[in-house]
Amino acid sequence: MVDMPAQNPQRIVLPPHRERARRPRIVRFREWARRNLFNSRAGTLLTIITAAILALLIYGVVYFVFVDANWRVITENRWLLFAGGYPMDQEWRLWFSVMFVFLLIGLTYGTWASLGRRDHLFIVLASGFAVLLLAHGGAAIWSTIWYLIAVGLLYAGYAITIRMPREAGPGRTVQQRSVAGLLIAALPIVLIVLLAFGGARPRELEGFVLNLVLAPVGIAGGLILAIPLALGRASRMRAISWTCTTYIEVVRGAPLLGWLFVALFILDDVIGGELIVRAMVVLAVFTAAYMAEYIRGALQALPHGQSEAAHAVGLNQFQSMQLIVMPQALRISIPPMVGQAISIWKDTTLVTVILPLRELKGNADSAIAQFEFTPDRIEAYVFVAVIFWVVAFIMSRISQRVEGSLGIGER
Amino acid sequence: MAVATGSAPPPPSEVPLLYRRGVRRLLTQGIYVAITAVVIGYVYTSLDLREFGFGFLNEPAAFKVGNQWLVDVDGVTNSRITMYLVGVWSSLRAVLVAIALSTVIGVLVGVARLSSNWLVAQMAMLYVEIFRNTPLLVQVVLVYTILLIGAPLIENVVNVGDFFFISNRGMAMPWPVPDEGFWNAPIWFVGVWVAALIAMAVVAGRVRAQRQERERETGQPQYGNRWALGVFALGAVVSFFALGAPVSMDEPMIVGTHYIEGMVMEPEFTALVAGLTLYTSAFIAEIVRGGIQALPRGQTEAANAVGLSGYQRLTLVILPQALRQIIPSVTNQYLNINKNSSLAYAVLYDDLFRVANIVQNKAGHALEMFFVIIVTYMLISFAISVVMNFFNARVTAQRI
Repeated sequence: MVDMPAQNPQRIVLPPHRERARRPRIVRFREWARRNLFNSRAGTLLTIITAAILALLIYGVVYFVFVDANWRVITENRWLLFAGGYPMDQEWRLWFSVMFVFLLIGLTYGTWASLGRRDHLFIVLASGFAVLLLAHGGAAIWSTIWYLIAVGLLYAGYAITIRMPREAGPGRTVQQRSVAGLLIAALPIVLIVLLAFGGARPRELEGFVLNLVLAPVGIAGGLILAIPLALGRASRMRAISWTCTTYIEVVRGAPLLGWLFVALFILDDVIGGELIVRAMVVLAVFTAAYMAEYIRGALQALPHGQSEAAHAVGLNQFQSMQLIVMPQALRISIPPMVGQAISIWKDTTLVTVILPLRELKGNADSAIAQFEFTPDRIEAYVFVAVIFWVVAFIMSRISQRVEGSLGIGER
Repeated sequence: MAVATGSAPPPPSEVPLLYRRGVRRLLTQGIYVAITAVVIGYVYTSLDLREFGFGFLNEPAAFKVGNQWLVDVDGVTNSRITMYLVGVWSSLRAVLVAIALSTVIGVLVGVARLSSNWLVAQMAMLYVEIFRNTPLLVQVVLVYTILLIGAPLIENVVNVGDFFFISNRGMAMPWPVPDEGFWNAPIWFVGVWVAALIAMAVVAGRVRAQRQERERETGQPQYGNRWALGVFALGAVVSFFALGAPVSMDEPMIVGTHYIEGMVMEPEFTALVAGLTLYTSAFIAEIVRGGIQALPRGQTEAANAVGLSGYQRLTLVILPQALRQIIPSVTNQYLNINKNSSLAYAVLYDDLFRVANIVQNKAGHALEMFFVIIVTYMLISFAISVVMNFFNARVTAQRI
C-alpha cells in the first residue's frame, strides 16, 4: 500500500480535487448537477418546479420584449426621456460630461481594481443596449459615435492606469492622489460644463440628466454635512450632541416625500431660489442624516485603542481625528454608504411625485401622455426600471471591486 | 496620561485659563449655541407665521377620500382632521399588510438564497437583484399600470361563482359583517366571544404546558403546540356557533360600473402593497441571508450530527440564533415601509400624506400640515419600534 504510486510511475496521484478536475467535462457536469440540482427526491422536485417557473418567466419576458411591446414609445421620445428640456444645440455638453465620467471610471478601475471577464461582458452588453437605443431609426448617428468614443475613453483610461506599478512608492502616491482629486473635482466640473458659459439654466435640467445631477449632488452634499454631524453626535459636549441627535432623528422621522413637500412650500420663504436648487438642498440634508448614522456606527466600531495610541504618540485631538480615526471610520463605513448612495439614486425619482420637476420617470409620464403612446405605459415604465437598475448595478459593482482591493471588511 | 514622560500633569491652577478643558468646552458650546440660535432665528423670522395655528383642521373638509374600509365618511359634514385620520387608517392598513407579506417573502427568499439547490439559489438572487436595485416608485407605478391595463374592464369582469370578482377596479370578495343576531346587538356578541376566546387561550396554554411537562418526563414527543392550537381553534369555532353565529357574509355585487358591498381591494391599494412588499422583501432577504451566514458553520454541522431534518435545522437551530442579528435590521426595514408608504401619492391612494396634501391645497398652512405629517410618521415609527424592541428583548433574553 505504501509504495502504490511506485507501481505505476506514469500516473502521478494528485490530491482529490485535482483528480476530479482530470475527468471529462461532461462527467464533472453530471456530478455537479447531481450535487446541486438532484441531491434528493425533494430536491429534484424543487428543481423541476423552479425550472418550470423560470421557463414561464423567460417565455413571458421574451414574448413581451420581442412581440408584445411597442418600443417606439422609447425610441421616438429619446431626447425627451434623456435630456427633456435641455437646449438641443448644447448637446455636446452632455456628451462631454459622459466622456469625462467614462474616462474617470476607467481611471478608477485601473488604479484600484481590475476589470474581470464579467465586467467586460457587462460593458459590451450595456454598450450594445445603448447603441441599439441611440442608433435605432438612424436619426442619432452622431450620438452613437460619441457614445462609442466615451467607451473607448473608458478603456483608454483603464489601459493607461492598469500598466502603472501597484507597489507603494512616490509614483503610486501621485497616481492615486491625482485620480482621487479628479473624482472629487468631477461633480463641479460636470456642473460647470452643463450649466456655465452659455449652457442650460438649472430649470432646464430634465429627464435622465436631472437624475444624474441630483444623485451626486445629494451624495456629495450629504457626505460633507454628515462628517461634522456624526462627530457632533458622538461629542461629549451636551449642547452639540443634543442638537445633532435631534437633527438626525427629525430628518429620519419623515419620509423624503415629506421633505420635498417642505422644499416646495416652506423653503421658498427661507432660502428662496430655484426649486431645483431647493430640491438639491433637501436631498443633501436628508442624505446627511442617514450617512451620519453610518459614520457614527463606524466610529463606535473602531477599537478605542486607536485614538488612545494617537494620543500616546503626541497627536492632539484634531490630528488624531484627521490622521487616525476618520480615515479608518470612513473606510469601515464605505459599504453602508454605497447602499445609501444607491438608495438616493433611486429616490431621485421622488422629485417627480410632488414637485413640478421632471426627471426620467416624470418624462416617461409625459411620453405616455401623448395620445399615440397611451397604450404603451408598461413599456415606458419597464424601460425606466431597466435604466435605473443598470446604473445601480454599476454603482454596486464598482464599490465591490474597489472595496475588495482596499481590503475593506478584512483585518 | 503622561506617565511615559515621568512628569505629572501641572495642577489646574497653573494652566492658562484658555487652555483649561472646562473653559474650552464652555467656550466651544457657547459659540456653537450662538451660531445655531442665529440660524434658527433667521429661519423663524423668514417664515410667515402670522396665521400659524391648527384651528383650520376643525373646519369642514369639502373633499372626498377614496380607499375607505370599515369607515364611511363623505367629506361634507366631516372635519379636515377626521378626513386626515381616515388617511392615517388607510396608511396603517397598507403598512401592516406590507410588513406581514414582506417578512414572509423576505425570509423565504433569504433562506432560498442559501439553498443547496443551485437553481433555487440563483432564482432568489435574481429576485433580490431586480427588486433591490430599481426605484420603489417605478415598481409601485408599474404594478398599478399592469393592474389597470392587464386586468379586464368591469364590463368583462372575471366572475368566480358570483362572490369573487376581478376587474381593473380591483378584487371584490365576501366579507363578514355582524347582523342582528344574538341579543340583537353585535357588540354583545363581540364582547362575549372575545371573553370566550381569552378563556380558550388560557386553557390552551395549560394544555401546552402539561404536554411539554410530559414530554420532558417521558422523552416521547407530545406535540404541545399542535394540541394547544387545536384546543384553541375548536373552542373558538364551538363558542362562535354556540353564540348563534350572528355574522353573515356580505357578498359583493356589481351595479353599473361599480362594486357595492363585500370587501373591495382597489388596484391602488394592491399596487402600493405589492410595491412595498417586493422592494422591502428583497432587503429583508439580504438581511436574513447575512444573519444566517454570520453563524458559525458548526451550528449547521451540529444540527446535522444530532439528526435534525432540514426544516428542523432551520427552525430550531439556525433561525432562532440568526434572529439576534436579523431583528434590528429588519426593524429598520419596517420603519422604511412606514415612510415609503407615502409613495401612495403616486398612485392616488388616499393615505395620510395624500390627504394632508389635499388639505394643504384647500387651506394652505403648509408648515402646520408638515408638522402634523412628521408627528404622525414618528408616532407610527415609535409604535413599530416598541413592538420590535419587545421581540428583540424576547430573542436576546436567552444568552448564548
